[in-house]
Amino acid sequence: MLPLSRTFVAIALLASAGCSLQPFQPPPSPTPTKPATHGGSGPVISEPPTVTSTMPSEPVIQGPAPSIPVPRERPKAAPATFSPASKALVSQAQAQRKKGDLPGAAGSLDRALRIEPNNPLLWIEMGRLRMDQRNFAQAESMGRKALSMAVGDNRTQSAAWQLIADSLRARGKNPQAQEALEKAQQLSVE
Amino acid sequence: MGRRRKLNRRSRQKLQRGFAILALLALLALIVLVAVLDRRVTQQFEGRRWTLPARVYAQPLELYAGQSLSAARFAQELERLGYIPQTPVDRPGTFRRKGDSVDVYVRGFRFSDETQPAQQLHVGFDGEAIASLAGPDGADVPVFRLDPLLIGSIFPIHGEDRIIVSPAEVPSLLPEALKAVEDRKFDTHHGVNPLAILRAAFVNLRAGQVEQGGSTLTQQLVKSYFLDSRRTLRRKGEEAIMAFILESRFEKADIMNAYINEIYLGQDGRRAVHGFGLASQFYFGKPLAELNLPEVALMVAIVRGPSYYDPRRQPQRALERRNLVLKVLADENVVKRAQAEHAMQAPLGITDNAGRSANYFPAFLDLVRRRLREDYPEEALTETGLTVFSTLDPLLQEKAEIALSDELARQDQGSRKAARGLEGSMVVTTPQTGEVVAVVGGRRASFDGFNRALDMKRPIGSLAKPMVYLAALQSGRYTPASVVMDEPIEYKLESGDVWKPNNYDKKIHGPVTLVRGLTQSYNLATVNLGLDVGLGPVARTYVQLGLDEAPPKYASILLGTAQLNPVEVAQMYNTLANGGFRSPLRAVRAVIDESGKALKAPELEVTEAAPAEAVYALDRMLIEVFERGTARPAKQALPSGLVVAGKTGTSNDYRDSWFAGFSGGHVIVVWMGHDDNATTGLTGTTGALQAWTRLMASISTTSFEPLMPEAVEDRWIDYYSGLETSPYCSGSAVRMPFELGTGLYPDPACPPSTTPEEAALMQPPLPVVPNEDGVTAPADGAPRTGNPP
Repeated sequence: MLPLSRTFVAIALLASAGCSLQPFQPPPSPTPTKPATHGGSGPVISEPPTVTSTMPSEPVIQGPAPSIPVPRERPKAAPATFSPASKALVSQAQAQRKKGDLPGAAGSLDRALRIEPNNPLLWIEMGRLRMDQRNFAQAESMGRKALSMAVGDNRTQSAAWQLIADSLRARGKNPQAQEALEKAQQLSVE
Repeated sequence: MGRRRKLNRRSRQKLQRGFAILALLALLALIVLVAVLDRRVTQQFEGRRWTLPARVYAQPLELYAGQSLSAARFAQELERLGYIPQTPVDRPGTFRRKGDSVDVYVRGFRFSDETQPAQQLHVGFDGEAIASLAGPDGADVPVFRLDPLLIGSIFPIHGEDRIIVSPAEVPSLLPEALKAVEDRKFDTHHGVNPLAILRAAFVNLRAGQVEQGGSTLTQQLVKSYFLDSRRTLRRKGEEAIMAFILESRFEKADIMNAYINEIYLGQDGRRAVHGFGLASQFYFGKPLAELNLPEVALMVAIVRGPSYYDPRRQPQRALERRNLVLKVLADENVVKRAQAEHAMQAPLGITDNAGRSANYFPAFLDLVRRRLREDYPEEALTETGLTVFSTLDPLLQEKAEIALSDELARQDQGSRKAARGLEGSMVVTTPQTGEVVAVVGGRRASFDGFNRALDMKRPIGSLAKPMVYLAALQSGRYTPASVVMDEPIEYKLESGDVWKPNNYDKKIHGPVTLVRGLTQSYNLATVNLGLDVGLGPVARTYVQLGLDEAPPKYASILLGTAQLNPVEVAQMYNTLANGGFRSPLRAVRAVIDESGKALKAPELEVTEAAPAEAVYALDRMLIEVFERGTARPAKQALPSGLVVAGKTGTSNDYRDSWFAGFSGGHVIVVWMGHDDNATTGLTGTTGALQAWTRLMASISTTSFEPLMPEAVEDRWIDYYSGLETSPYCSGSAVRMPFELGTGLYPDPACPPSTTPEEAALMQPPLPVVPNEDGVTAPADGAPRTGNPP
């Protein structure tokens, strides 16, 4: 019953909006709700019991979202680190790289990635190896993969941008390289 | 008189000269023959002595603190690798488990990147995980890999297969036993043993048939080289000459080693088992170096007649001959009599079924072979002794086989007649690294037959819907809250026919949100959405996600008429599970040649294939498939708290039942159907999803928890209307990701700011699970798509 009536409300609203496919902003609400920033004094409201199990565990978001979206402050993530197993394999890979044994180094990093596939530092390490192998496009991809895994971790994102900058410069894409480098530097001071 | 004498003398001279010429000719012929035979046998011996099929290994088990592995499971894995539980742990291939700790003497192994020497290891466990690893000196070991499981060879059809062993890998007992039983004068003779031949001839004459061979080991070797067992005199003569040549040119030790690697020791289907190295794996499931006295004796017993003394088919006969060998060994003082008598009490100790059911994965090997053929010519694979390191996870493979066969067995017993005798296939990959860790090609997984994971292309049904929604999301014109019309459509085909798709439940649901259309798998909503987005962009997503070719741009691809095999489906869903990063699936990690040099192998690759924001939103909707959609019945069978995502697929007339889905660690694709394409009576939910859930629930995996992209935030919307709402009013609020700045309409009945207290005051209480059906399209032609993107 209710979904039905709500659907009609929706349709009525939509019809008034002119069934446009173009992006548009809803009218500003007369009393703008105070944007609650994460980690601020606003209460963190737990989710209702009927839906708790339905959500992936992610940083708890603040209560009801305001009608006017406000850019959220992303929670800062702790800088990524290596597990002891990955650490051992990464140093092994670095030693192999130094000796010029690039396939061996790739093998060691492959092993580490199987143990910690979500560790952005390992993807950066793999990207560095791809630079040695002169596979610059893959080096950049590895950097971007690392970026996607390091949301909120400025130090790691900075290292990823540095890798991306190097891979771009190696292919003569200087303006983009400069842009990436600036991102790396900006993130390293934040 | 004088004339006669003269004549006689002249004819005698003539005769002598004739003889001399004849003798010279004969000598010449002999020299030529010896030269020819010399060339042949020497070339065979010195040159490429054996054609060596590529050996394929599974991925090694990595040990490190924190790895989820119990002591009991670890012991099982060691036994699978042929490790023997014993005290003391004093040689490679042995281990001892004491409660929560295991001491193991790991075998040496040449990996692609390093050679790992044999070494002792102490592994401490803390319940379900490894707590510590230490070397023999007590020093901490951060990470260590076991020697991997040999899962097969790539040999030509009807070909010889062997594992070459060096003298150091041969237990010293074996050559001694071979000499004692087959060739007592081996150390002193020159290739042939005339006494033995005479004795054999005498025995055979008395028996009236060939009962005994007088061949030396050298002669047996020569005979085996040239694969001709005809017992003609000429053959024998040539054989003797070649044996003599070998003996004069090569050391006894070299000849013994060649014999150990050459001789035929059994048949495994189309594969001829040659050499003791492979035979040891074939019969006992462990390396030759680790065989004990009764096992060595059995191998020596088999030499005389691998099919007559086949220990699997003729165990009694084999046992008797083994004990005869043991008696000879004692008689010849090779072993002490007490030892021999003790060994006679031992069982044969043969592994089941040639390791076929346990470690034989033909569908996976097939994939490896095909991937290798892209880089290597056939001869390189079957002859040059490559070592191939594959991505197979034996434990996961075993669980996949069990999950599928259990589900098929359940369907056999079930009430649906059409679902009896089904076939099935499964593919499992790891999303981040794109490795194929298990492939099941059919109901009888260890049967090397039709490989459905690769050779069967079937319509994917609703597995195609995520591609439509991905195209919509990445067009920038849609969000999970956008509304599309689930209403009848007539689509004019180029042929002039009119295509009129239907919903599975034959109902019309009117305006539905994208998230609802996908999770409930509504056909009409999907077709309307796909036509609005365009067939071109939808078809292109197939290539984005990893297919080589886009499907033809027919409207029917929106509902999954594209025919794909399970590996292709796994490739596409792997990209979805990997946040839009495409990694070409790999079955091979590394290849090395005989000398250990690394050769060409596909490397880990990632390519950003689709916008992270669109893939993230799609993945979140696919999670809802388990919360509210067609996979909801599976939720209770999964470990509580495990977040997974996926999609059901059913093709026309229930011919194919699909499920493709993923956790954080594994992508699993399941197909079930009949080979003759008959109807199964099953949907994706009632068929493939059941097998999928069995497997997902039985493996160690992690929740699917992708990181939210930077420019995205979560907001609550109503599942039915797409209006922005508060989570406290009803169970129909669902949290979905939106790019920052996305405009959403607030729900007037329950605005986003509604507090729990306000929601509680609302009367009447809102239903938690609203009625799914009965929503019909408004008659007054409501907008097709209307709400803001």
